[in-house]
Amino acid sequence: MDLAKMKPGESGTITNIGAVGPLKRRLMDMGILVGEKVKVEKVAPLGDPIEVAIKNYRLSLRKKEAQGIQVEVVK
Amino acid sequence: MNTEAASRSVAAMPIQGMEQKGITIAVAGNPNSGKSTLINAIAGTRLHVGNWPGVTVEKKEAALEYAGKRIRLIDLPGTYSLSPYTQEEIIARDYLVRERPDVIINVVDATNLERNLYLTIQIMELGIPVVIALNIYDEAEKKGFRIDAGAMERMLGVTVVRTVATRKTGVSDLLKSAISLAEEMPSRAPRQLNYGEDIDSVAIILAHHLQKDHPAVAAAYPLRWLVFKLMEGDSHVLDETGLDESGLLHETLRHLREAHEEDIESLMADARYAQASGLTREVMKRPDVRKMELTERIDRLALNRFLGIPIFLVAMWLMFKLTFDLSKPYSDWIGEMMAGPFKRWTEALIGFIHAPAWTASLATDGIIAGVGNVLVFVPVIFAMMFFITFLEGSGYMARAAFVMDRAMHSIGLHGKSFIPMLLGFGCNVPAIYATRTLENPRDKALTALLIPLMSCGARLPVYVVFIGAFFPAHAGTVLWSLYVMGIALAIMMGVFFKRTLFRGEAPMFIMELPPYRMPSFRSLMIHTWEKGKHFLIKAGTYILAVSVLVWFLLNLPWGVENKKDSYLGRVGQVVAPVLGPLGFGKWEASSSLIAGLVAKEIVVGTMGEIYVTKEEDRKKEAPAFADDLKEAGSSFVREARESLGNVFSTFGITSISSEESAEETAERTPLRGVLRSQFSPLAAYAFLTFVLLYMPCVIASVAMVQELGTWKWYGIAFAYQMVLAWSVAFLIHGGGKLLGLGG
Repeated sequence: MDLAKMKPGESGTITNIGAVGPLKRRLMDMGILVGEKVKVEKVAPLGDPIEVAIKNYRLSLRKKEAQGIQVEVVK
Repeated sequence: MNTEAASRSVAAMPIQGMEQKGITIAVAGNPNSGKSTLINAIAGTRLHVGNWPGVTVEKKEAALEYAGKRIRLIDLPGTYSLSPYTQEEIIARDYLVRERPDVIINVVDATNLERNLYLTIQIMELGIPVVIALNIYDEAEKKGFRIDAGAMERMLGVTVVRTVATRKTGVSDLLKSAISLAEEMPSRAPRQLNYGEDIDSVAIILAHHLQKDHPAVAAAYPLRWLVFKLMEGDSHVLDETGLDESGLLHETLRHLREAHEEDIESLMADARYAQASGLTREVMKRPDVRKMELTERIDRLALNRFLGIPIFLVAMWLMFKLTFDLSKPYSDWIGEMMAGPFKRWTEALIGFIHAPAWTASLATDGIIAGVGNVLVFVPVIFAMMFFITFLEGSGYMARAAFVMDRAMHSIGLHGKSFIPMLLGFGCNVPAIYATRTLENPRDKALTALLIPLMSCGARLPVYVVFIGAFFPAHAGTVLWSLYVMGIALAIMMGVFFKRTLFRGEAPMFIMELPPYRMPSFRSLMIHTWEKGKHFLIKAGTYILAVSVLVWFLLNLPWGVENKKDSYLGRVGQVVAPVLGPLGFGKWEASSSLIAGLVAKEIVVGTMGEIYVTKEEDRKKEAPAFADDLKEAGSSFVREARESLGNVFSTFGITSISSEESAEETAERTPLRGVLRSQFSPLAAYAFLTFVLLYMPCVIASVAMVQELGTWKWYGIAFAYQMVLAWSVAFLIHGGGKLLGLGG
């Protein structure tokens, strides 16, 4: 499932990062890596951006930036 | 991991006359790792704040002496990585590669070891000796984390010192370690970590080829680092070295590329993170049960779907109120002192030495008034810096951006733009300085461009006088219409700029939400003081120069009887016809507008001088020197009390009448009478919109040039605001006439 479409409380393992170039590098620098566990914590009051927990810290990113990050959701 | 011997080979760099030069220590680390606090703890007020050349990223450095050693401390911008994509990262790595400091202090947040080590690993690639400051160690212990510093030292080949910067714990140990590491001969480079067979074998081949075919290039950089950058296809390094991806590089990398779908950059990031997580697992033990942390509990409220925005608005309301209400009485006091006792003393002094009258006027109305213009901003700049630093240090700034980003992003801005824009309603000057919270130059420039459309406090006196003269029955509505117009135009211009000047991909938002922390008071004060000082020196000079220039415009040729014949009046006459279609094409109006460039409230004062024949200054008995001093002291106490009282009082533009003291009302009554004979109500409203929109005052202009580091954005702001002011005033006046609203 696309990370941008996940709901608060859902978590899973990253299977693919669709982004390219600087965006991809930035995401990876922040710990968004294939095989990493990610959990969607919150969606901002106005619907965007989202907050995710990764590598034991919290990261916020716009849905547009989260698009293309594929996650295998764990129930 | 490779052998000790291998890691030493990289370190065979000559050490340049350390005895004479002293030791250079660069401090690197993630944002939110407590790096600033640590720097403050080491250097205190010896810190010098400036900018990195050519960019507006802050550069802090300090020269100090410790244990008889001369030390130069350089604070690198906080970064998560050393990629070639952000200004901060490029600055940090260029400095490390080109200047090769003797030792790097890498500040690591002990509560977030893995992600912080990712930067550490990249820093280690440079082959410069590294001391890790394992910071925020107290918090990590409280969470039950146990970190084996000895194991870390062995595995990384660096020195590790535990620190708690907020309490200055471990700071002197850190300095001692850095010094002894810098003096070690031969210098001790960090260990070369293993990035996996795939990467390492190619790296060795590439290093060999470089040394053989491009010895000059290979010698100019830390070799291992250079090899990795070439493998990553780092455009910055490729440009610099003149190497390209064809030929040698292409051949060596082909297999690796084919095996990993062309993306070696990701492969490298993976390898580094694999090391970081491996290390973290080895050296850190954490409890199995995780407690619900304070940060999580606060965020349940602060980022709540329904409460998030109200909480944000209350926080902003508080900040606005504290910034302006707290500082205003002090600004008033400074203003009064400059206009009162200080001016009198100078006049007395000049009278005493029998200098010509114009020198007295230049000294008091030009120079002292100019110094006053600078000084009255000091309290508000200090207050703003204090609260902004607090918001950033506490972790709430990131939440504010998170909550507001959707709304701000729709007009091309960043979530963090909201705070500077809001401050703009108080005063555009601190607002423009507050854009420094925005990291991306594009976000920063666009925010600063729109701030002048926020109607600042200095425009209010103009509104008050005109509204009192023309629209007393609808005062509230007319006043709010101006504020709303400013906001609406800011939105329109934001969308317009987004599609024109700032076309293209919006900067990334990807941002850490750091844990909430209480910033140390000492650190807050040092930061605030540094910023205030910076403003005083840098902006102060410009503002003073402009004030003196305006004095010349107003008073020359010397002894001019009629203001119409002063230089200002003459310029006003030239400009007046341009304002004709707006309904106020008279030299009096245009001259006042020009004078208003110093500060928009001066429009009122100048109109008073021009329109109302001055009854000869009711010469008051000049108070004696001692009385002046006494008054200065007691009025300071009064204002300080008021400042405190303001914190608890209500907020907002309560009513027009409360904005004007009885004295002011009496003073302005004759002016209002004249205005009614000179302007039609429609022209008066057009005039007010013009005052709202036309170019920023000189102090805001100086702030813009200084904060954005170039005249370019100021030029654009000037041009678009002039066009906007003229067009909107024209539409209002012309449109109103067509609708039969009278002219």
